[in-house]
Amino acid sequence: MVMAEEEESGVSIQLEFPKGRVKKIMALDKDVKRVSSEALFLVSRSTELFLQFLAEKSAQVAIEKKRKTVNLEHIREAVKRHQPTRDFLLDELPPPSQPTKPDRPTQPAGRPKLDPPPRGTRRIDLFFRKPELDDPAQAQPPENPAQAQPPENPDQDQAQSPVPVDES
Amino acid sequence: MDQDVQDRALPIANVGRIMKQILPPSAKISKEGKQLMQECVTEFISFVTGEASDKCHKENRKTVNGDDICWALSSLGFDNYAEAIGRYLHIYRQGEREKINHTKKYENPQNQTQINRAPPPPLLLSRVENPPPTNQSG
Repeated sequence: MVMAEEEESGVSIQLEFPKGRVKKIMALDKDVKRVSSEALFLVSRSTELFLQFLAEKSAQVAIEKKRKTVNLEHIREAVKRHQPTRDFLLDELPPPSQPTKPDRPTQPAGRPKLDPPPRGTRRIDLFFRKPELDDPAQAQPPENPAQAQPPENPDQDQAQSPVPVDES
Repeated sequence: MDQDVQDRALPIANVGRIMKQILPPSAKISKEGKQLMQECVTEFISFVTGEASDKCHKENRKTVNGDDICWALSSLGFDNYAEAIGRYLHIYRQGEREKINHTKKYENPQNQTQINRAPPPPLLLSRVENPPPTNQSG
């Protein structure tokens, strides 16, 4: 459509980019002395074609990734897929902040850490020590009065309970 | 600094408009996407200009012309662009001729060709009437 219209009119070939701006950008190169109006026109037109091409490829990438908004990633991917464009643009493109960016946002699972309480350890130790002290104390009262009365069994008392021997 | 940066790049409004013409109606462009595309096309101009300028320098010429641009595009791998640009160059030159003819026939407007652009500057007329001599034809 656009091509046909331009060819039919023959004269009115309107440029999308302002000539002054294009010329200024071309003049940034110090080696460039003079630029003819033809060259200026052709650079403007070729830049339009390049922009249209890159936009089209970026849109394709966005569609492949099921996105409605074209962003940096899609443009960068489009640049990579075209060898001539990649040659002069890949170095200029900023490196991606996240090389492997999944579609779904990764949510960090915050698991609460359970620290083993040192008191629990002490409690276990205390609990383990108490039965040793309580058992002989509890066992002595019922045995002592029963065995103390008969004087004929002093050996049995010593064998069963060494603690009374120490006390005597 | 911001103005300098903007002056050295193509207007982002034009970039956005051309992108929208190419993209499907439902598609959108992020702000960062437009800015990156703006940098890409600006870099493209410098890239092609540098290549064309190198050719001029090797051939001891001072003015970059249309053929140099076509050659640069083809040399850099943009062959499709070179072909399209060649057609545009042809149309452009025809347009220039018609402009000149119209200016010459201004007193006798037999064929009124609609020209949407301003009339060519006198310098262009002098160029056509007196073609510039080739400094180093050999």
